Amino acid sequence: MVKYNFKEIKVVPSGKELVDIILSRTQRQTPTVVHKGSRTKIIREFYMHKVKFTGENFKKKLSDIIDEFPRLEAINPFYSDLLHVLYNKDHFKLALAQVNKARNQISKIATDYIRLLKYGDSLYRCKCLKIAALGRMCTVIKGIGPSLAYLEQVRQHMARLPSIDPNMRTILICGCPNVGKSSFMNKITRADVEEQPYAFTTKSLFVGHTDYNCLRYQVIDTPGILDRPFEDRNIIEMCSITALAHLRSAVLFFLDVSGSCGYSIAQQAALFHSIKSLFLNKPLMIVCNKIDLQPMHALSEEDKRLVDDMKAEAQKTLSIGGDQNGEQQVLFTMSTLTNEGVSTAKNTACERILGHRVELKMKSKKINDCLNRFHVAMPKTRDAKERPVCIPPQVLEQRAKAQEGEQEKEKRKLEKDLENENGGAGVYSASLKKHYILASDEWKDDIIPEIIDGHNVADFMDHDILERVKELEREEGMRLAGVAGDESEINGDDMMPEEREALNAIRKRKKALIQEHRIKKSTAESRPVVPRKFDKDRQFTTQRMGRQLSGLGLDPSKAIERARSRSVPRIGRKRERSVAVDGFGDDSMEIDNEGKGSYKKLRLRSVSRSRLRSRASIEEVVPGKGFKDKKQKVKAIKLGKKSIKQRNKDARKGEADKVILNMMPKHLFSGKRGIGKTSRR
Amino acid sequence: MRLEKCWFCSSTIYPGHGIQFVRNDAKIFRFCRSKCHKNFKMKRNPRKVKWTKAYRRLHGKDMTQDSTFEFERKRNRPQRYDRINTEKVLQAIPKISKVKATREKDHITKRLSAGRVNRRAEDRRELEQSISLVKAPSVLKEDATLTLPKQKVTVSYAQTENTPMEE
Repeated sequence: MVKYNFKEIKVVPSGKELVDIILSRTQRQTPTVVHKGSRTKIIREFYMHKVKFTGENFKKKLSDIIDEFPRLEAINPFYSDLLHVLYNKDHFKLALAQVNKARNQISKIATDYIRLLKYGDSLYRCKCLKIAALGRMCTVIKGIGPSLAYLEQVRQHMARLPSIDPNMRTILICGCPNVGKSSFMNKITRADVEEQPYAFTTKSLFVGHTDYNCLRYQVIDTPGILDRPFEDRNIIEMCSITALAHLRSAVLFFLDVSGSCGYSIAQQAALFHSIKSLFLNKPLMIVCNKIDLQPMHALSEEDKRLVDDMKAEAQKTLSIGGDQNGEQQVLFTMSTLTNEGVSTAKNTACERILGHRVELKMKSKKINDCLNRFHVAMPKTRDAKERPVCIPPQVLEQRAKAQEGEQEKEKRKLEKDLENENGGAGVYSASLKKHYILASDEWKDDIIPEIIDGHNVADFMDHDILERVKELEREEGMRLAGVAGDESEINGDDMMPEEREALNAIRKRKKALIQEHRIKKSTAESRPVVPRKFDKDRQFTTQRMGRQLSGLGLDPSKAIERARSRSVPRIGRKRERSVAVDGFGDDSMEIDNEGKGSYKKLRLRSVSRSRLRSRASIEEVVPGKGFKDKKQKVKAIKLGKKSIKQRNKDARKGEADKVILNMMPKHLFSGKRGIGKTSRR
Repeated sequence: MRLEKCWFCSSTIYPGHGIQFVRNDAKIFRFCRSKCHKNFKMKRNPRKVKWTKAYRRLHGKDMTQDSTFEFERKRNRPQRYDRINTEKVLQAIPKISKVKATREKDHITKRLSAGRVNRRAEDRRELEQSISLVKAPSVLKEDATLTLPKQKVTVSYAQTENTPMEE
């Protein structure tokens, strides 16, 4: 069966669009680069591929267009006629023929130019040939531009045609314009057809579906027909004529008995008789509409006669079987406004078309195939036992109650009523615990504990928990007793407090040693090794030594004595003092000359060491050795000492010590300049 | 309302704390704080992370098997409220937790007591070896105890005035 649904026809591109599409596709999907220096074969192949590709694509696209459109000979005659009515068959065919011609032309162009390209000797020539080929193809397409546009319009219109199934049970509604066909349609189906008081509101066919007896029926609404000779009919009327002519359906001829459509009954009857040839072999019904405006019994004699005439015609179409209810089957009165008689009309129409179709089927040869498939199985009775219907007793009771007692049922008090009594929605909050099922009703209002001390109460729930706890505590008691015994054993071998003291002292001493060593290690490089005699911090005193020795438990007095005896000042103290007060004098010199030992003794004193140094310089002076007098020598010594002083402050070992530990100290070579330039930070 | 356990560190998660993560296989991971959550996201195994309960249990630092653990068990079936039972349970819970706490403490103490013995031996050894740092060997020979030596302090007596007692 050829599809009657034209919605799936692909879009027909316009001429320009088609050219754009194909050319851009060629550009994208074929190789784009070729060099002048490549072999001729390659160049030829390159361009031939392009021409071939373009030609094939055009051909394919055009073939698609041609194939998608329906062939008017191959589809249902109803549709072919409809399409003819709407678009003119010849025009349609012509457009498709032009597209076909274009397709053939393009394939010819492609083959011709490919043949020419085989003999192309340079890149430039091949390129020109390719350009010519593509240009010609595009010109061809440009030529069929109008046809493509027409086909696109046709396609769009076809897509919107109503999907009428020519083989389905159909009811056709026809009649003069404005009689009420669309309103009837809206009443029986879900199709929302426009109904307006002016004529020719419906301009094309509309399809709706209705159900009757579990079967689906198609209902087709047509535009109104005027009483005119066939040739003068316009497209809209031709649509309805086509539908009438081709569709095998029940026909409802609508009659407006009130004449409010603008046509008298006589005119409508005339129309009826002019198209009655189309009603052959179709179950026909006359429907008198708008009886709310003009009741049937109030019709004039003439009108009644006309109606009877039409009825007679309709009765001719009745099958032999339906003769009994002749009147009811053929003539209907209804009003779509008040819904009178609408359903009877519909039902009868459905029944008649069904009956008609069944009859036809029965007469045709195909029936034998169908009949074989119908079979109703009736179970055979196997014994005489009665098997009545089974209804559960509760249901029977309920029914009995419902029947006898129309008395008001006892209304249970609802929660809602309770709420309303106690102040309404915002005030009253229903007790959710009211219906709890608990062992004792007093417990209903209890706050159930869920958490205690970081534990979930529910995890511990057990009916014999207290007994278990008692046992646990007993066990624990026993265990603790055992543990106490163990503890006393372990604690035996402990140190005495004096020993602990000694241990602490040892540890402290060790720590101190380690710390000292660490300091020494870290500062070893940068610390100047200052000789011990310039002991500024007074680390090395006899008092200290004495303290340390007595800390160890020894008697320091002997050691202190010895140390002191070796240091001179203690012995010659008094004398020195007097000498110092006088300042220079021959006495000092004399004393010096007495012995070498005294030289040393005079050097150190037990008074402040800083003063000592300056004194020493004065005392040592011995004239001679290149100096004219003591004063000069003192000055010389002073100068000498001055130079040493700075050296010692720089912690340099001697004159020749030019070591610079850090050639580029970071703080002098990095950072932003506070003032000045980088070259002179 | 339930107090849950953190998946990572096994501490209790109180309401309003932590994050719950539901994986695609519908397994729920609860975390007590972002520390555990972040560790989880880093795919760390709680059994290898020192401060978690899982590690401590696995490595025997904390008590693992005990009868007190059987009292607390998650039941999936809801039970009907029973006032008498609930009262009993509420009395029992503090006792159980006390016993549990003491047992855990004892477990740890027992574990650490071995170290105590070692430490004592070590101290004694150190004392014996290094006593010479605070006590001169000659003094040690006389007084063989391992204590600090008695220091000899020379006290200089000030010239006391022989003031006759005033009458």
